[in-house]
Amino acid sequence: MIASVGFLSTIVTVALAITVVSPILLIVLLILDWTKGKQW
Amino acid sequence: MNAHNSAILDANIGWLILAIFSLFWIFLGWYWGRKAKQLDDFMLAGRNVGMALAVATAMATWVTSNTTMAAPQLALQLGIWGMVGYSLGSIGLLMFAPLAKRIRVLMPHAYTSGDFVRLRYGKAAWRVFLLISLFYGFGWLISLGMAGGVLIHALTGIPYVYGMSVILTICVLYTLLGGLRAVIGTDFIQTILILVGVVILAWLAIDKVGFDNIHSAVLQERPELLNLLMPAAIMFLFNNLLFGVGEIFHSNVWWSRAFAFRQGVGFPAYFTAGLMWLPIPIVAGFVALAAPALNLNIPAADMVGPMVAGKLLGVGGAILVFIVVFSALASSLDSLLAATSDLITQDIYRGHIRPTADNRELRFAAKGIILGLGVVTWLLCFPRITTLAELLYFTGAFVASTIWPIVAGLYWKKTNANGATLAMVFGTCIGLYSYFAIGFYVAALIGALVSMIIVIVSSLLWPGEFEWSQLQYSGANTKGASQ
Repeated sequence: MIASVGFLSTIVTVALAITVVSPILLIVLLILDWTKGKQW
Repeated sequence: MNAHNSAILDANIGWLILAIFSLFWIFLGWYWGRKAKQLDDFMLAGRNVGMALAVATAMATWVTSNTTMAAPQLALQLGIWGMVGYSLGSIGLLMFAPLAKRIRVLMPHAYTSGDFVRLRYGKAAWRVFLLISLFYGFGWLISLGMAGGVLIHALTGIPYVYGMSVILTICVLYTLLGGLRAVIGTDFIQTILILVGVVILAWLAIDKVGFDNIHSAVLQERPELLNLLMPAAIMFLFNNLLFGVGEIFHSNVWWSRAFAFRQGVGFPAYFTAGLMWLPIPIVAGFVALAAPALNLNIPAADMVGPMVAGKLLGVGGAILVFIVVFSALASSLDSLLAATSDLITQDIYRGHIRPTADNRELRFAAKGIILGLGVVTWLLCFPRITTLAELLYFTGAFVASTIWPIVAGLYWKKTNANGATLAMVFGTCIGLYSYFAIGFYVAALIGALVSMIIVIVSSLLWPGEFEWSQLQYSGANTKGASQ
């Protein structure tokens, strides 16, 4: 059973989208923690 | 293969990057460590780590040099399931989320995973657990130290001993200066660097080569990599999943974070970290599938990631890979140094040698132990005995045998000390036997299975009645607490 180009592009695109969002989300979370004085 | 010939980056540029990042991490270690006057500050970052830093440190620690270098290698060897299978390592983080919450509630004053095993199961189980945990900790430390030297040498041609010494020295210094606060703070920056780096590389592969070209070149040259029913890859997938769960459930690296995170942060932080970690091996691994389309002749499978990056982006790509790998190495090495030092300080030094030590003495001891760990790791890494790196393969049986004693111990009152001890001993022994008799891919599976049977049967036949309140002890002597 050979993976199609559609299958390959779908899993990589979804993975890439999550990886793009991750650092943005981390920075937003840090700013939110920082404003509350709860970063650590 | 001579690394000088395959190095993708000039050694001088390599030294420059090492120097810049070394100074940066050490400065941050000093800066964040200035106010760590109490033992809780140094060992557990004040037990008040917020959501952002908690998610980042869980992610960064689990992104080792393996994730960034071995994910492309596995994609090249096992195809699509290789990178997807590697990404299932995130299941360990996801499953640890509820445990982290319970650990923080049950043991608000504890320091190590050893504290839990000692209070829950008594001294015999505690000592067996310490042996397993320290063996695993040293195995991982040595493999990371050696990986540092090997990767820096492969990427830049800088001699192995220099690269290994530099990365160990930097991590020891900033962990020594800032304790867990420095580890967690630098982890945040390292996470951002790793994520940005792998995104750029994958984006370039898609933009410059394209999915159609990548797919057709792989189909023509290595069609087995696109086979969704490749047996070896499916076997790898399950073994990796179980090994990852065992590593996370027992290791003080993850327990110390559960104690360090602010109340209520453990569950969402570990769960979010698991979700964010999941795609990284796929994104990093996918780059390797571009190798056939780029007509790259790969001399060693573990160099496929850097070689594709170098081909796509020249010197810039090589620098990017070097920074990603360096960040991944440092973020795991510092965490392991801090967590292993905590385990030795609390469970060996205080637990076995100096039970009356006050917090001031323990803080001093913790620093000495970090330094000692660095020296011992350096000495063991120095001869570059390759068999030492294989220590990690053995640890599959060791760590998997602790999964059930830990989980049942946290949730099931009936689980008893003898059952937990025997589960760890027999799970490890039979898992190791199967490692030699059958193969590395079943060691964790059989170790966990034997351990599970012993824990369940012994709990049902000889049920205990553990009181959860017994875990609410004061983890350290109050004497000298303000030192």
